[in-house]
Parts: sequence; C-alpha cells; structure tokens
Amino acid sequence: MSFVADRRRATELRLVIFAGLITAGAYTLASLGKNSVIPPRILPFLAVLLLVLVSAHIAVRLLAPGADSTLLPVAALLNGLGYVMIARLSERLAGLQTTWTFVGIIAFTTTLIVVRRVNDLARFKWSFFVVGAGLLLLPMVPGLGFSSGGARIWVNIGPVNFQPGEFAKIALALFFAAYLAESRELIKNGTWRVGRFLLPEPRDLLPLLGAWGFSVVLMVGQKDLGSSLLFFTLFIVMVWIATEKAAFMTIGLGLFALSATTAYFVFDHVQTRVSIWLDPWQSYRGRGYQIAQSMFALGSGGVGGTGLGLGDPTRIPEAKNDFIFAAIGEELGLFGATALLIAFLLIIGAGLRTAIRAKRDFAKLLAIGLTTIVGMQAFIIIGGVIRVVPLTGITLPFVSYGGSSLVANYVLLALLLRISDNTAKRLGEAPDQMSAVERFEAARARRRIARSGVTE
Amino acid sequence: MNRRIGKLAMAFFALYVVLFAQLNLIQVGRKSTLDGDIRNTRQTVKNFNDPRGDIVTSDGVVIATSLRSEPEDRFDWQRTYPEGDTYTAITGYYTFDFGATGVEKVENDVLAGRTTAQQISGIGALFSGRDVTGDVEVTIDSRIQEAAKTALAGREGTVVVLEPATGAVRAMYSWPTYETNVVATHDADEAEAVFGYLDAAPGKPLLVNAYQERYMPGSTFKIITTAAALDAGLVDDTTIWSEESEFLPPQTIDPIQNYGGKVCGGDLVEVFRRSCNTPFARMAIDLGPDVMVDAAERFGIGAKIPIDLPAPAASEFGDVDYFEQNLPLLGIGGFGQGNTTMVPLHMAMVAASVANGGVMMKPYVVATTSDQDGRVLRRTAPTAWRTPMSPATADRLTNLMVEVVNSGTASCCLRLSNGVQAAAKTGTAQLNMAGEPERSHAWIVAFAPAQAPRYAIVVMLKGTNAEISEGTGGTLAGPIASRVLDVALSR
Repeated sequence: MSFVADRRRATELRLVIFAGLITAGAYTLASLGKNSVIPPRILPFLAVLLLVLVSAHIAVRLLAPGADSTLLPVAALLNGLGYVMIARLSERLAGLQTTWTFVGIIAFTTTLIVVRRVNDLARFKWSFFVVGAGLLLLPMVPGLGFSSGGARIWVNIGPVNFQPGEFAKIALALFFAAYLAESRELIKNGTWRVGRFLLPEPRDLLPLLGAWGFSVVLMVGQKDLGSSLLFFTLFIVMVWIATEKAAFMTIGLGLFALSATTAYFVFDHVQTRVSIWLDPWQSYRGRGYQIAQSMFALGSGGVGGTGLGLGDPTRIPEAKNDFIFAAIGEELGLFGATALLIAFLLIIGAGLRTAIRAKRDFAKLLAIGLTTIVGMQAFIIIGGVIRVVPLTGITLPFVSYGGSSLVANYVLLALLLRISDNTAKRLGEAPDQMSAVERFEAARARRRIARSGVTE
Repeated sequence: MNRRIGKLAMAFFALYVVLFAQLNLIQVGRKSTLDGDIRNTRQTVKNFNDPRGDIVTSDGVVIATSLRSEPEDRFDWQRTYPEGDTYTAITGYYTFDFGATGVEKVENDVLAGRTTAQQISGIGALFSGRDVTGDVEVTIDSRIQEAAKTALAGREGTVVVLEPATGAVRAMYSWPTYETNVVATHDADEAEAVFGYLDAAPGKPLLVNAYQERYMPGSTFKIITTAAALDAGLVDDTTIWSEESEFLPPQTIDPIQNYGGKVCGGDLVEVFRRSCNTPFARMAIDLGPDVMVDAAERFGIGAKIPIDLPAPAASEFGDVDYFEQNLPLLGIGGFGQGNTTMVPLHMAMVAASVANGGVMMKPYVVATTSDQDGRVLRRTAPTAWRTPMSPATADRLTNLMVEVVNSGTASCCLRLSNGVQAAAKTGTAQLNMAGEPERSHAWIVAFAPAQAPRYAIVVMLKGTNAEISEGTGGTLAGPIASRVLDVALSR
C-alpha cells in the first residue's frame, strides 16, 4: 500500500540532496572567486553537509512522515546560501555558523520528538505567554542583558550570547493561536452593546490586548523596532483571520498608523531611520552609510552579479547579518536575489497551505502565525536593505549569521512540519501507524509489563 | 478562515512583488548612476586590482606604467612613474584615496581598458587572459621637457613650450611640484600625510601653475593691447608717442609712470622695443573699455583654457562697466598691471597666435590613444580656438617682437644658437606697493624661428622671494627661454 506520504519523503530527500549540492557548488565557486583555489576540504565538506541534511530528512521520515516536502529543502537551501556568504566574508564566523546549524538541526529533531500532536500545546497558552514575556524581559536583567547596535535585546549566559526575542516570538505566536482559537467566536460575535456597535466583552478582549500591548511596549522600549513591527503585524494578521472581521484589520491598521506616528515624534531613533530611508545620501558619512553601501553593492551586482567571491561585500557594514541580502544581491545579482525572494515565497506558500489543510482552529492559527513570522521578518529586513521600508535591524531567517535566529527558525520549521504531519495523518495520507517514538514507548511499556509479571 | 488565508497569501505575494520591483529598479535601473557615484569605491578597488596602460612621450619615454605590487600590498598593481617628478604636470597622479588628476584622470577609461571599443575588442582577450588596457601617447618631447626642468633649476615658476601651428604642448614643467611616486602610495595613512603636507605647502604644489593658476603678466600683455590697437586702426607705423615719464589718465590725480620713472617715447617699434608703459596706457584708454574688453575676449581671456587636462584656470582682464568707472585701471591694464592676470600657458598661446598668423590653436597634451594591440583609438586633431588678430597685425607684431630680441628688452638674454632669429616680449609684473621691497613676476614669451615659427614658449618666474626683486623679465627669464628653445630647435 502506497501513501502520499512516501512520495513526499522521496521528493524531500531528492530536494534536500539538491540543496546540498547547490551549497557545495556555491562554496567551491566562492573559494575559486576569492582565492582562485578549489577548497582543499571540499569533499569532507560535502560529506558533512549531506550528512546533516540527510539526518534532518531521516528525522522527518521517522517523526513526521506525512509532513510537507518543500519546507525543509527550501530552509536548507537558504541556510546553505547564507553559510556560503558568511564563509566568504569571514572564516571564523563560518565555523561558528556550522556549530549553530548543528544545534539548529538538533533543536529541529528535538521539537519533532517532544511535540507529537500540536493541538496538545494549546492548553499551555498562559505558560507560553509567561515564557515569551520572560524571554523578552531577560535582556533587561542587569548583569545578564546588554545592548548591541543600539538595541537592548542580548543576553549573556556563560560563553554564549543570545537573543531571547527570537524564541519569544514563537512562544507568543503559540499564545495568540491558543487564545484566539479558544475565544475567537466570543470576540467575533460581540455581545457588549456600545451605542450602535456590538463589541466583544472586555473580559474576552482585554487579556489578549494586555499581553500584546505588554510585548510591543517592551520591544519598543528595547529599541528593537524590527521586532516591534513584526509583532504588530503578526497580531493584526492573526486577529483578522481568527475573527474574520475586516473591522479588526482596519482598526489594527489605524492603530498602527497612530503608533508609528507617535513613535516618530517621540523617539529620535525612529526619526533618524525614516530620514535615512527617505534620503540615505544626505547623511552618507553618518547613518546613511550602511544603506548607501547596500545600494552600491546591489548596483555593482546588476542582473547577473559579480560572481561569488568576486564582489566586494566586505564594504557593507553588517554584511554577515542584517545586510546579508545586499551581499547576495552583489555577488549573485538580480537573479540570485530574486531566487531568495522566491524561496521565501515557497516557505510562505507551504506554511499557508499547511494552515488551510489543518482542521483545528489552533493548528490553523499557529501555522498562520509561524508563517507570518518568517514571511514578514524576511520582508521587513529585505525591504529595509533595499529601501522599500525604513531599515530596522532584524535577521534574515535561515540566511543571516546568528545562533539564536537559526535555532529558533529551525524550531519554528519543526512546528510547521508537525502541523502538516498531523493533518496528513488525519486525512489518511500517511500511515496511521505508530511513530518511532511511540513504538519505542510501547516497547518500553511492554518490557515493564513483562517485568512486573502481569500476563495479558 | 480559509478565505482569509487566501487573502493573506495574496498580500504576501504583493509585498514580495514590491521587493522584486525595487530590486529591478536598483540593480538594473539605477545601476549606472550607482556605479558612477564618486563615493562608490567598488569600481576603484577593481581598477586598482587590474593593470593599467602606459603613458609615453612622443619620443617613446614611458612616464607612467603599472608594476606588480609587493605581495603584502593591499592592491595587485602599483602605479609607477619612472621619470619621477619631471612629468607631474602632465601625468598627474592616480591614487586610491585621493582620486586622480592629469592625463591619468582624463584618459582613465583608455588606460583602464574601459572604452566601448576596447571592451568589444577585449571579448577575445577574455579567453586568452590578456589584459585590455590602452596606452596614451602625449605630445611632450622628453628632451625639451628635461631641458625645461633643468633650466628652471628649482625656481618657482613655469616653462611651457607649444607648437604654434597645432597647439601641441611639447613641454610643460612647473615648480613647486611633487614626486608622483610618493603620492601614488597605497598606504592610506601615508597618502593622507603626504596630501595633507602638499595641500598646506607654500606655492601650492598640487596645482600645476602653468595652467591652473594665473599671475599678473606685466609687459607681455602689451602684445594684446598692441594687437587691439593695430586691428582697430588706432595706431600705425607713423604714430609717434611723445617723450614722457608719466601720464595722467582721466578720473584720477595719480599719474601712471614708466618703469623706474624713465623718460620714454617714439614710434611703435621704439616704445614696444623699450617697453614704455605710458604709450600702452594711452592706447588702452583711447581704445576705450568696449574695444579693449572685446579684444581681450577675442584672445580667450575670461574663458577657461581649452586644454585636455582637468580644471584649467581662466585669465582675467575685467568687464566694460568696471572700466567705465575706472579708466586709470584700464590704462594700467593696458600694460598688464592692476587687476589683469594671465594663465602662463595662455601667454604662450598669445605668442603662438602671433607666430601662427593670428590664429590661436587649442592646446593639447594627448596625441593619440591606442588599444592593447596598438590600434589607434583616437588621434587629437589640431583645432583653432580663437582668431584674436588679423594676419597683417600678426606680421606687424612679429616684427615688433623681433626688434625686442635684437635691440630691446630681451637683447641681453635671448640669443639662440646657430643664429636662429627669435621674436619675444618680456614682462616684469610689479607686485610691491609703493614703499615695499621690490618684488615682481619675471616673464618672457617668445617664438622661433621668427619667420617660420616652430616653437612658442613662455617662461614665468614667480616673484616670491628676493631673488626676483630687481629683475626685469628679460634678464631672468630670457636665459631660461634661450636654453629650452635651443634644445627644442636642435630636434
């Protein structure tokens, strides 16, 4: 008996290997372009790369056999291209990024092992809020948190620096999905009459608004504009879809306009960002320098790019991080940059397809939330780098250098795959047999029963 | 909720289409603007990692070339100037941190192999691995240039030699100058220090005083006043100026004096030969502001020198309104004092236009540019710039300038070998106010042979120190002109 799931896994394996070959090829080209040598350890590199990718694939095969087949390969490709660019910018960071990729894949597998039915998570909604809020507060703890690049979003624990906000986003998306799944009918069909309008009961709405307001105020307070913007969008999108009321979208956008205007007049750094966005050339020697260099990089890339290793992306400040898209646009040109946009659209497409197929409100809303995080985060940072929106420093998911971001995004990916796998099981696309974990636990239970001497 | 999810998907798609559109706008639409931005160092870095063609003189001396850098250098190629500071005024410099000037700048595309013609013929070279850099041949003759440098002998000033018939610059040397090899360093800190020093140094070594600065011309300007008066029919062979030591122009009580208060007068040959001042002041005032300013404009005064080098200066005389109000200054301007300033190269062009039958040619230093296979990309065709005087006037002026050499202010000091007859005019621009120590720019403009001119020359020595205090143009500048013209005519 053959399942759709088997075909999905076969496709995924082929695509994952393909992503690995593209990465290894790009790595070789970058080395040829930069130093005119084929990397001496290219074969071990390819072996390790394929090993990591195939392990991730096997994890999916064992733990979520019915899951979507494109999400993992596209993420692997983004991760690979980002790695090639980071390695081309700095050998040292490449080593660290390798470690973070390993950690990311481990976190990915762990998430798949721990979370077996995504709907089970819904009942922990307030715990998720507490975890999310706690993570957001962590950088404010004296001695633990510290500022870098103007935003106080870093935490130092022992040898590791990390951005708890990256994980807070997932926790808060879980909270919103759970809360809205539970109360969406109540919020949608308001019973509180105010004049001509029927509004939701305050007791249904206030916890939600409170949690959201708390988070946004915190992010703004930490001067993390990118995350504030992302979080604002995430909230509006989830409420709008959960309630199916355009009014919430309108109110949300109105609220957004209001807060943006307020922020503009209250915070100097917001004004600076906007003026740089409107005219980076005016402050070329100052704060406009980054954007100006980004423009130069993209311009010198043109349609075909300078070629990997042949451009000059080290001139862009933060090329490994917020500006990695400009570095890719320089060396891979309009073609490469567009490929990246398409990759993100594929993730968005697969994520939203997962949402549409999911049955339970919670799973649906969670898939929407997680997809919106990736899609909006990529839009905000790419748009910032190419001057579509004011620049707010956040990472490009899977591509930028950085452990927190990479690990958090792999966890996010695992959750999406889990939702997709649950749906596949329900629709009978995947064998409704015990998963590896369940078989392991069943065997353990049998042994326990055998030891205690109870007969069946 | 699924319908909303569909809408969300469309919204995301729209957002990413906006990103794609903006990418196109930047990477395709604005590419050339961004690449051309002077703050964009990407192209420069690329250029510094590519070889660059040679600049050679008309007699084949390489004056700028690119050599492989030391291994630890930040770029692959080092621009080198084998002749040191001799050709600084021509080649200029090519630096990473401070841009380029001179031929390095104006012919940058050829030297870097970036003209369209080179790019097309370079497609083949892409596979053979050869570079496509082009070479530039300049009009400079190395022996005349060397002679100019030697003759000037480290005094502040300049020597320019032109071909009157074509405008080709055969030598151009200025002092103070700088050692191009030092300036071309790739060490950013060193470059900063060198440029900082040169920028603040007295005498402005970063500017080529031959064509980027202007100085009071003194009596050499009498060529222009005389040309204007002859063309206007104001004076002829029969005109006689009475012997006088000073002349009181209108609008003032302060008389104009001859040099050293000497009594001076006679016909045109006499007053030109002895370089009396009052006759030329009278000429300028009699011609009036309209005619004098018009004549100055016909000589190209007020316009930037049309040389094929960056940032040339413009000579200055004054405008009609100004002189209407200040007739004494028009008189003083008539013999090259007051507010009159001339670019030294421009004075050479004035002499050359007399030698060339009244036609002033555009000066140029780039003779030909050629691609990597030696095919000529562009050859400069000599072009006329102005026609400041009639051929008859040019003839008359030649005779007047011959008399200056034979029995006038240059007779002491401009004697060419092999009996070659030169024509010249000297100038001593008095810079000191009454009661101050004497200080003057010493000038001579000349051409030779007088009847079939091959070379025109200007020598200008800046009145910056006591050495030039007593000088009249002839005694100081004359010997320099003699030596340089002798070398030039022996070629």
